[in-house]
Amino acid sequence: METLNNTAWDVLIAGTGLQQSLLALALSRSGKKVLHIDKNRHYGGAEAAFSLQEAESWAQELTQGDLNLPFHNAAIEQPSLPTEDDDGPKLSFSRAYSLALAPQIIYTRSALLPVLLSTKVYRQLEFLAVGSWWLYTPASPPDTNPEVSDSARGEDATLASKGCLTRIPSGREDVFADQSLDIRSKRALMKFLRFVADYENQPEIWEAHRQAPFPEFLSIQFKLPAASHNMLLALTLSPSAPLETTTESALPRIARHLRSIGLFGPGFGAVIPKWGGLAEIAQVSCRAGAVGGGTYVLGKRVTKIEVKSECANVASDTDISPSQAFDTVLAGEDGVDVVSAACIVGSDEDLPSASTSSQDAQQSARRSISIISSRLESLFPPLAEGAPAPAGAVVVFPAGSLSDGGAESATDSPVHILMHTSDTGECPDGQSVLYASMTAPGAAGFALLDRAVLELLHCVGEEPSPTVLWSLRYEQSQSALDTPASASSSEGRILRFPQSSLDLAFDDGMLERVKKIWQEIVGSDAGEFMKFGEQGNGGGEEEDDEEA
Amino acid sequence: MADSTGSAAPKPSSSVKLVLLGEAAVGKSSLVMRFVNNDFQENKEPTIGAAFLTQKCNLPTRTIKFEIWDTAGQERFASLAPMYYRNAQAALVVYDITKASSLTKAQHWVAELQRQASPGIVIALVGNKLDLVNAGGAGESEDDTDGVPDEEGDSDARKVPTKTAKAYADEESLLFFETSAKTGLNVAEVFTAIANAIPETQLKGPRGVGGQTTLGSGGQQQDASRVNLAGAGTAGAKEGCAC
Repeated sequence: METLNNTAWDVLIAGTGLQQSLLALALSRSGKKVLHIDKNRHYGGAEAAFSLQEAESWAQELTQGDLNLPFHNAAIEQPSLPTEDDDGPKLSFSRAYSLALAPQIIYTRSALLPVLLSTKVYRQLEFLAVGSWWLYTPASPPDTNPEVSDSARGEDATLASKGCLTRIPSGREDVFADQSLDIRSKRALMKFLRFVADYENQPEIWEAHRQAPFPEFLSIQFKLPAASHNMLLALTLSPSAPLETTTESALPRIARHLRSIGLFGPGFGAVIPKWGGLAEIAQVSCRAGAVGGGTYVLGKRVTKIEVKSECANVASDTDISPSQAFDTVLAGEDGVDVVSAACIVGSDEDLPSASTSSQDAQQSARRSISIISSRLESLFPPLAEGAPAPAGAVVVFPAGSLSDGGAESATDSPVHILMHTSDTGECPDGQSVLYASMTAPGAAGFALLDRAVLELLHCVGEEPSPTVLWSLRYEQSQSALDTPASASSSEGRILRFPQSSLDLAFDDGMLERVKKIWQEIVGSDAGEFMKFGEQGNGGGEEEDDEEA
Repeated sequence: MADSTGSAAPKPSSSVKLVLLGEAAVGKSSLVMRFVNNDFQENKEPTIGAAFLTQKCNLPTRTIKFEIWDTAGQERFASLAPMYYRNAQAALVVYDITKASSLTKAQHWVAELQRQASPGIVIALVGNKLDLVNAGGAGESEDDTDGVPDEEGDSDARKVPTKTAKAYADEESLLFFETSAKTGLNVAEVFTAIANAIPETQLKGPRGVGGQTTLGSGGQQQDASRVNLAGAGTAGAKEGCAC
């Protein structure tokens, strides 16, 4: 194997999460000599996708504690399986699975998709549709009337209670056809949907409510009955409690949802990449970065960065001089290398920490990944004529809906479950994967996730009842810091990405950060961000079938 | 390649993803350039360029369209991603017959393929740079001098005896060839042999590079579920979006 020792680079990128991978791709096409490394033996960073074995060793390593990671408290549960001669559902072999640590849906209006097109990397990706959105309503004592979902909160629904899942209308026609809404609610809802489609131009309606809780805004401004609030909150995918979800944060999210529907085909507004979501985009970007000339090395960690004394002050110069600014020590299983780089990019978990600022003010989420012994077909109904078969679905458990009566504050945030079919390549046929998450702190959060998964399986009402074959739970944190802390001049050109977003929908802000760092490195003559010509990268030659 | 286009009856055509593997500088890209463009460049730079190249291979009963994926240099530090192996139906593992260590490396890649790639993948082991050893000594005559690297007939340049590599290939059920990308010797034959070795049942239509074990009706569903990103905006956009 070749050695990296004493090599010189324009840019050293640490970590192969999606933001670093997209940056590497952009830089490789801007004439920069890029060394892209990852301390792990796998691609994807916080967005990695794992086989069962990989997930197990990942969880194992976490318990040995790399405190620098955004992940904590991982544990795997594999219910003891019936004896071998049993015909019951079984886990398949390890590599039949590709489980995403940070699954996200990508709205069809996301700025990410045009980038994947203009860089041609989309040709090596497959996208699948996210179909139905479901809202969970707990069983309430009198009957299971969805109208009373909000009031069911706090009531002592028994643990085994069978709630139900109702499909959230995905547009005005759906609302119109919806049987569960009375005529007045429908009218109010229509009015709201009309407003939200063009909310930017109607500040008079919502400006005054910017910071107000979104449900309050819905009640006051649109007279929407409480029963319909959960449905609209669900469309925001907001991890926060309803009272902490502000109107100004909710409106753009609902607008994004509605505006995305139909863009790539009837009946859906979001897509997921096959084979483990964002991990796949990261891998494809890295490969395209390599095709563009970048050098890739896994299993190497940055352990030390030293400013070279003679050129410690190149920082403000946009045009990086060929003289290198940093000596960087990289450590891996095969020893230690010293490389020099004019510029270093990474997130806190990939670079020797400069400060502990990210320790405070963190958000965190509890997540679980469950492999289910059923396709759960009833939750993936066909979307519309001519629509692709859905491979994803979203189930939202509104705040408090899983509460068993205890007045725990944990129950104040919703639980979201992203469901993936085997079409995603994340599990074998006949099974499905449930990605559950919520922001409640403490062990109570995990208990609620388990509860949500079980409720979901109950609601499907299949015989025999689907079971959880395997599950992984973990905590993921994110520094509250949202902007790239592009380093101060004293640090030279060390640029830091924030930790990956906990959001369940791809956040276009990530692309903005990548672009900003790219501009900072490339300088003013950067040209267009992520617009590559036909030649070279991406897909190679396209179809030449006409001569066949 | 005997590319006999123009024959009236259209033969069934299918795409096959083929990945290249092997130590740096053994001539992986050169083999592909010879196959695809019938071209050879001395002192070629390490690979950067296209993500994959395509070339058709006409068999008597069908046409195979190879999508040939190069390593893009990611083999140098063993940093190929799972997506590289994904759905590959064929692999070309290349070594340099004038460099003994490159066969060891090739064996490593074969093991990696057996670990990472689809179970049914067709693997061809190819010893390249045959032009660097004397003509006439192409390795057929070493029967009695087993395992000795420098045999009569072979020039001093050869470091991997044909027999050694062939024995390994047989043991692992690999196709085996010695080639010269420079002269073109045996290059087309490698690809034709691969095309022939891919079982008919593994083949799919012209698009959809498939090939992973088809479980149940999985294959069909996959095509039905694919979203075409490039077709955005053309189809009836704007539904749901109120107004």
